[in-house]
Amino acid sequence: MKTCSSMATLWSKISDVLPPGEEQFPLQFSDTVESSLVDVLKRSRRQLYGDAASSSSRAIDAQIILDFSWEKLNTGTWRHVDKEWRRVYAYGCLFKVAALCREGPSADNVPQAVRTCDMGLLMGAAIMDNILQVIVGILQGEVRKSSKEEDDKTEQVEVKRLKIECPRAPVIRGELAVPRVKCPSLESFNTNHLLPLKPVILEGIIDHWPALNGHRWSIEYLRSVAGCRTVPVEVGSRYTDEEWSQTLLTVDEFIDRYILNEDGVTGLGYLAQHQLFDQIPELKEDIRLPDYCCLGEEDEDDITVNAWFGPGGTVSPLHHDPQQNFLAQVVGSKYIRLYSPEDTDKLYPHQSQLLHNTSQVEAENPDTERFPDFAAAPYLECVLRPGDVLFIPVRHWHYVRSLELSFSVSFWWS
Amino acid sequence: MRWFGFGFNAFGQIHVRGRATSAASGDVAAEVKVIGPTEVTGHEGSRRLKTCRIKASWSRRASLHLNGDSCVCLAGFGAATSDESCGVSVVVSRGCTDASIGELHLTLVFPDRIESWDLQKKEETPSWSMELEPQSESSGPPLKLPLVPGGYIATKPPFYRSLSPHLKAKSLALGAEHAILLCATGAVYTWGLGSHGQLGHGGLTSEEEPRAVEALCGMTMSSVATGGWHSVCISDGGDLYVWGWNESGQLGLPSRGLRKALQQQSSQQAAGAACQVADSSPGEEVFISIQAFPALLDVAPSCEIRTVSCGSRHTAAVTTTGDLYTWGWGEYGQLGHQTLISSDEPKCVEFFREQQLHVVDVTCGMWNTFAAVIAEEAASS
Repeated sequence: MKTCSSMATLWSKISDVLPPGEEQFPLQFSDTVESSLVDVLKRSRRQLYGDAASSSSRAIDAQIILDFSWEKLNTGTWRHVDKEWRRVYAYGCLFKVAALCREGPSADNVPQAVRTCDMGLLMGAAIMDNILQVIVGILQGEVRKSSKEEDDKTEQVEVKRLKIECPRAPVIRGELAVPRVKCPSLESFNTNHLLPLKPVILEGIIDHWPALNGHRWSIEYLRSVAGCRTVPVEVGSRYTDEEWSQTLLTVDEFIDRYILNEDGVTGLGYLAQHQLFDQIPELKEDIRLPDYCCLGEEDEDDITVNAWFGPGGTVSPLHHDPQQNFLAQVVGSKYIRLYSPEDTDKLYPHQSQLLHNTSQVEAENPDTERFPDFAAAPYLECVLRPGDVLFIPVRHWHYVRSLELSFSVSFWWS
Repeated sequence: MRWFGFGFNAFGQIHVRGRATSAASGDVAAEVKVIGPTEVTGHEGSRRLKTCRIKASWSRRASLHLNGDSCVCLAGFGAATSDESCGVSVVVSRGCTDASIGELHLTLVFPDRIESWDLQKKEETPSWSMELEPQSESSGPPLKLPLVPGGYIATKPPFYRSLSPHLKAKSLALGAEHAILLCATGAVYTWGLGSHGQLGHGGLTSEEEPRAVEALCGMTMSSVATGGWHSVCISDGGDLYVWGWNESGQLGLPSRGLRKALQQQSSQQAAGAACQVADSSPGEEVFISIQAFPALLDVAPSCEIRTVSCGSRHTAAVTTTGDLYTWGWGEYGQLGHQTLISSDEPKCVEFFREQQLHVVDVTCGMWNTFAAVIAEEAASS
């Protein structure tokens, strides 16, 4: 239960990371941002310092900023949204978080504030030295303090529920198996796999990851590090389905509904293709950039690292990506099939601009009438297990199905 | 004709806000979000002006007084107002025949020219203007903004955009990222971005050039309107067609996002703890988040729609019997039902019935609604 004094401490911690006064609080925008909205932003800044304003007034002004910038973020294509609107949205989140943390000892304010920070991190642009990241760290400290007692009890139940799943892993025939190699040198990887663009499973190269050792990733660990954080979740069998959609859930909610299937939730949910490690720095410290990425031409900072976390049965339909990929398996196992770009003519890619990198064929259940040539397309396959890293060469077609609870990390590099 | 407004009022664009600086919490909320219809005063000094038309942007309201000595009065952001005033009279608007207002510009139509004035800079001359050919007697009724002879005035530069004469443009509505055109033939054309289904061609692709909405072929439409991401039109028989984004129920069709949000709100209030929302949908209800083809909307049993207007995420329609129905996003009170609740079902604004006022026109700003009324006795005469 939050008491008045503990909320007061929280506010002082947050005050400490904010600029000391109005004059030191930057609020600069290009002409893109209408002066009427700048008026509201300045009023919010005024209300941040001093006690004159009411909590209702602070909350309303923050909401106005959020609602207005949200509409701008949804106008035009995401790529073309002026970065200023993402900054404004982040400021709206900051003012809303400040308003929440300032008044009222309600236990709901802290989770709402965490969610607001996450919305700012997901949809906004970094402002004031990424202050939302700093604040969410403070807030997570508060959340962890208050939920410590509840953790131990639930752990036992969850571990039991998961053990029931026993996947029948597909048998991989020798001649179709993706080759495996243990800790190759940079040079031999470059010569034998990268330059000729040949898939391979690298063994032993992530054994040192904390995610597989000291901070071994598990449901309990993920809850403790990120349970209250909001993440995007894909709902539906596969992204080519009509019923497929995206939603925002906390990690706790995602685990409860789609991993443990509480509340009678049926259907698949997949925390997929999300840069979780930018959002949650503690998890970033549990992984390492594969050394082989240095063979690419890009800066380390340009490498896209995505999390893929979900129950058994999640499917990524056959598709290809415009960059090289290291797919590192951390928890659980996945069945993966690979087709060469040379055989694209047998894979029936969608015609539309949106899905041109995706095949129309369901790889493990092809419609042989509609797609007669598919059966003749040669492929390699594997079951990827914890500790394995699959090298998927650029533009190489791949199909992925999780066999059980699974957590993979992908590195897209060039 | 009297005008009533409700919804977003942070800049005093519906009614002037109180002077108290540290207002008690309840007061601020009630001032910024006007949840029930409030009369918009029409005085300038001691003169009582007849407000013929109202146009509203996000932060302002423009009242067009077009009888006799016509002019435009502005209320809202940047218009220092005193009580009882309908706003600051725009001197340069004297003699205008039509006006429209965006967040950045006030556009004025005069018999011989059109001018756009930058509202953010106080300048002596319009930031853009264009001469008009004097209207010949054979030409039809005067075009309403944003239509102008030969084309239309966009919300950002280049202001003047031409339209092919073979379209025979009769009326035009501009949304955040699309446009809908009504032709003299009764056909409807759309163009712009289509990612929210707002073009009505059945898909999500964009159109650079006006393209006929084929699903409406064979029917004669009499008026069109756009919201931020949705489109509405009225057939000459008084039926309402809607299409586009339905994330807040602005199409009047069942909205999953809306139901979820309402569920979350009520469980938050009940439990007072971080919500765990059960994933149950009542029965087999079909939710629509994007309607890519026009759909006929039953606003109220056996009623004909006279006129319609849309805010960014809500819709307001006036029936021929003088009722106002609203639906969609309502978090600023823009639906006028004395609440801050959004709705995916058209509901009658009871205030006007209770006051025995007959609604004859409606126009929406982005987050508010303005309705024109006459007394019921006058309506039936």
